[in-house]
Amino acid sequence: MLGNLLVSTLMSASVYAMLAVGFSLTFGVARIINLAHTAFYMVASYIIFTATMKMGLPLYVGVVAAVSLVVLLAMVTYKVLVDPMREHETTVLILTIGVALVLQELMFLWFGGYFRSVPTAVEGFTTLLGVRVSYQYVLTICVLIVTLALVWLLLMKTRLGLAIRATAQDREIANVMGMSDSRTATITVGIAAALAAIAGAIVAPLFIIEPRIWLSPLTVVLAISVLGGLGSLKGSILGAVIIALSENLVVFLVPQGAFFKGAFSLLIMIVVLLIRPEGLYGVAFEEER
Amino acid sequence: MRRYLAYLWREFRGEILVLPGRTILFSATAILLILPLLYPHPYLLRILALTFIFAIFAASWDLLSGFVGQLNLGHAIFFGVAAYASAILNLRLGLPIIITIPVGAVAAVVAGLVVGIPCLRLKGQYLSLATLAFPVILMGLVFMFTEFTGGELGVSGLTRLAPTRLHEYYISAFVGVLSILAIWKITDSKLGLVLHAIREDEVAARASGINTSQYKLIAFCLSGLFAGIAGGLYAHFMRIAGPQSLSMLTSFQAIIWTIFGGIATIYGAVVGVFVLFPMLEVLRVAPEIRLLLYAAIIVLVLRFMPEGLAPWVVDRLERECPRCKEHNAFTRRECRVCGTPLRVPLQKTPVSGEHMSGGEGLSASQEGG
Amino acid sequence: MLLAVKNLTVCYDTAMLLNDVSLNVATGELVGVVGPNGAGKTTLLRTIAGLVRWERECKRGTKAGNITIDGEIHFDGQRIDKLPPDEIARRGLVLCPERRRPFRELSVLDNLRAGAYLVKDHRVFQQSLESVYTMFPILKARAGQVSGTLSGGEQQMLAIARALMTQPKLLCIDEPSTGLSPKIRAELFAKIREIAKSGLTVLLVEQDVSLAFSLSTRNYILSHSKVMAEGTSDELMKDEKVRQSYLGLAGPASA
Repeated sequence: MLGNLLVSTLMSASVYAMLAVGFSLTFGVARIINLAHTAFYMVASYIIFTATMKMGLPLYVGVVAAVSLVVLLAMVTYKVLVDPMREHETTVLILTIGVALVLQELMFLWFGGYFRSVPTAVEGFTTLLGVRVSYQYVLTICVLIVTLALVWLLLMKTRLGLAIRATAQDREIANVMGMSDSRTATITVGIAAALAAIAGAIVAPLFIIEPRIWLSPLTVVLAISVLGGLGSLKGSILGAVIIALSENLVVFLVPQGAFFKGAFSLLIMIVVLLIRPEGLYGVAFEEER
Repeated sequence: MRRYLAYLWREFRGEILVLPGRTILFSATAILLILPLLYPHPYLLRILALTFIFAIFAASWDLLSGFVGQLNLGHAIFFGVAAYASAILNLRLGLPIIITIPVGAVAAVVAGLVVGIPCLRLKGQYLSLATLAFPVILMGLVFMFTEFTGGELGVSGLTRLAPTRLHEYYISAFVGVLSILAIWKITDSKLGLVLHAIREDEVAARASGINTSQYKLIAFCLSGLFAGIAGGLYAHFMRIAGPQSLSMLTSFQAIIWTIFGGIATIYGAVVGVFVLFPMLEVLRVAPEIRLLLYAAIIVLVLRFMPEGLAPWVVDRLERECPRCKEHNAFTRRECRVCGTPLRVPLQKTPVSGEHMSGGEGLSASQEGG
Repeated sequence: MLLAVKNLTVCYDTAMLLNDVSLNVATGELVGVVGPNGAGKTTLLRTIAGLVRWERECKRGTKAGNITIDGEIHFDGQRIDKLPPDEIARRGLVLCPERRRPFRELSVLDNLRAGAYLVKDHRVFQQSLESVYTMFPILKARAGQVSGTLSGGEQQMLAIARALMTQPKLLCIDEPSTGLSPKIRAELFAKIREIAKSGLTVLLVEQDVSLAFSLSTRNYILSHSKVMAEGTSDELMKDEKVRQSYLGLAGPASA
């Protein structure tokens, strides 16, 4: 049972971390709460579904198509709708909800409300820690961890990463140092969408695809990024592990816990906020001091 | 009697007809109250009654989130708590509506305290995202104790709000108008001034001797009270209290209506509901793309009117006096209160720096922020 | 002229923060701008660096975005008042901001790297890193430390070093002495003098008139959003009216 718990925790932690890191980056650099973030994840799953099941293309083509289309969609949406009115904080909130609803309804329109699924990339299973684990699980976890490591490298070692980190600290001064904040923000939104799309693509074979699958991960992502501290990467990853572990514990230990797992992760978030009102690693924006 | 009527007319002309925005609101309310008598179509009555109920809900959100700036993303908790409380009291104990709805509202006030107290320490986005959690947690409880809450199906079979549709409509309409007027009065009162001050600068408000924690809790409770009234009305009108009333979309609806209409204005929230809720019904002509059109219209309107619909219209119909900040109809040439001409371009005045006196002033350090 | 500000007027809504300000900086000069609180000194530098225009673009449509900017700013022969701040930085004008504002959660070295964002040549980067390390040895010692934990004086040095890393033609420094002890101030101003000596043009905004005058070749006195006087430090110190009204020094000049 311990092995089961460990594997499924690792799995949900890495998916959540992918989503939360993107959400946090967007919040840090573009300064918006993007409630459409997990809708991109949903759209990516549908693109994979179309590519593999409708058009008969191989899975990797589907993944590439999903990531590139979703990144394009996110960047265009950001440039056209959000960037011109970033300072209207509440309006942006509604705009992002609106975008998520539009995407959800488009999927309903094109694919209907049926439960869809896509084939796995690899067959078979192995035994780890006395648990039967399918290769698809192993592959998914590996891809997610490698992607997160690549993002970490991008942020820490490259010029773009430096611009992203600097802009997340102080937009004005980043501008003065020659980093166009609007350009950095658009690229960051693109990276965040790419992370969401990769997460959506890689877990698509394991879950059911349906136009409303963005809602429940959204609450979890919000809980994680608040718990870890908005805008902090370290916080997002740590938060993802905490939430994933507690969710799985609840499911394993409490009868009917599956109903309560979303609520439980939010309960943990509130407890953390009571102790640390800015999350574990909250970031304060310099220009708002 | 004649003199009293003349006084009323003078007041009416001076307070309502003088501003186009108020005239529109007044005539719309009058039409809404008279029209159903002339054309009592049950479907129309149902939509309008629900619109009034949701108008209370949206206005209560605006009171807390727009006016006091405590951006609450989980407003559904007040609505749901009141709906469930009314429903359970009504069904399990057989209490009449006159008791269940007020008790439901009180339950929502208690919920306001439960949400408000942990949120006192939180600020900005942390507060918003924390409030989002409460209805989800409650929903988890609803699904855990199914024999009491009815789980997925909810509690159904409540007493009707009134024996006929027309009665139901007028109850919702009167409660709606009264609640909204009450919220409007609150924002206009001394309490409203304090709440506004907290939104603008909490630290400064505290420094001027305002117990901001206490006032924020008052705001949470007041907002809960009105949202609770709406929730109780809704439960009895629909004759069901289900988990739907706690869902994230219910919270988002209030936010969408209010921001679409114009946040922090109260009247904007009401306008938002009266435009969007019937629109969603009209869009039933195209059921396939109903929500799609709805979302697209909201996104497009907000893209071009970022402050919301009502302020956008008011900005075109009314002009603010640069001197006394009173609003004037766009047709006027000078301010109706202080007589300042309105058409001349604004006079720009240099800000005066502090005069320095004495040599010490020179090296005085100026720590920003 | 390296920098020429012509009839610059900036209004936030109806409040006029700069009123018809004109100012020139020639290559190699160290020009001081002094004046009381609220005179518009910081707004002047923020407008030159393009931040006021950026703020207006960001907040367009909101009440806070009702900012008007009139007048022209020329830098290095080109008009820059319509450019975004990153483009102005690319032309070689850099602002070392008020309150220092390091990227607090980034290490000292990362802050310097951020300053050198526009420098693509790694050799040039290494050279300028060496030179700021020689000028401020403390930064080398603290290279890996998170900059938010530095002391005020160290943060100010970091801010200047970060600005120098952009390879600027004109360095605008806003109130470097704020909140520093007299000893650190003196140290810091010695460094600024050193920077100016090395041939870099500096526009220095400062409240501490005596410190500013001790360095500058020429000064502007800004008060009530206007340029009230202009001249070398000696000229201004001798002018009776200027001494009394703006410098807060009573009595005849003794110098």
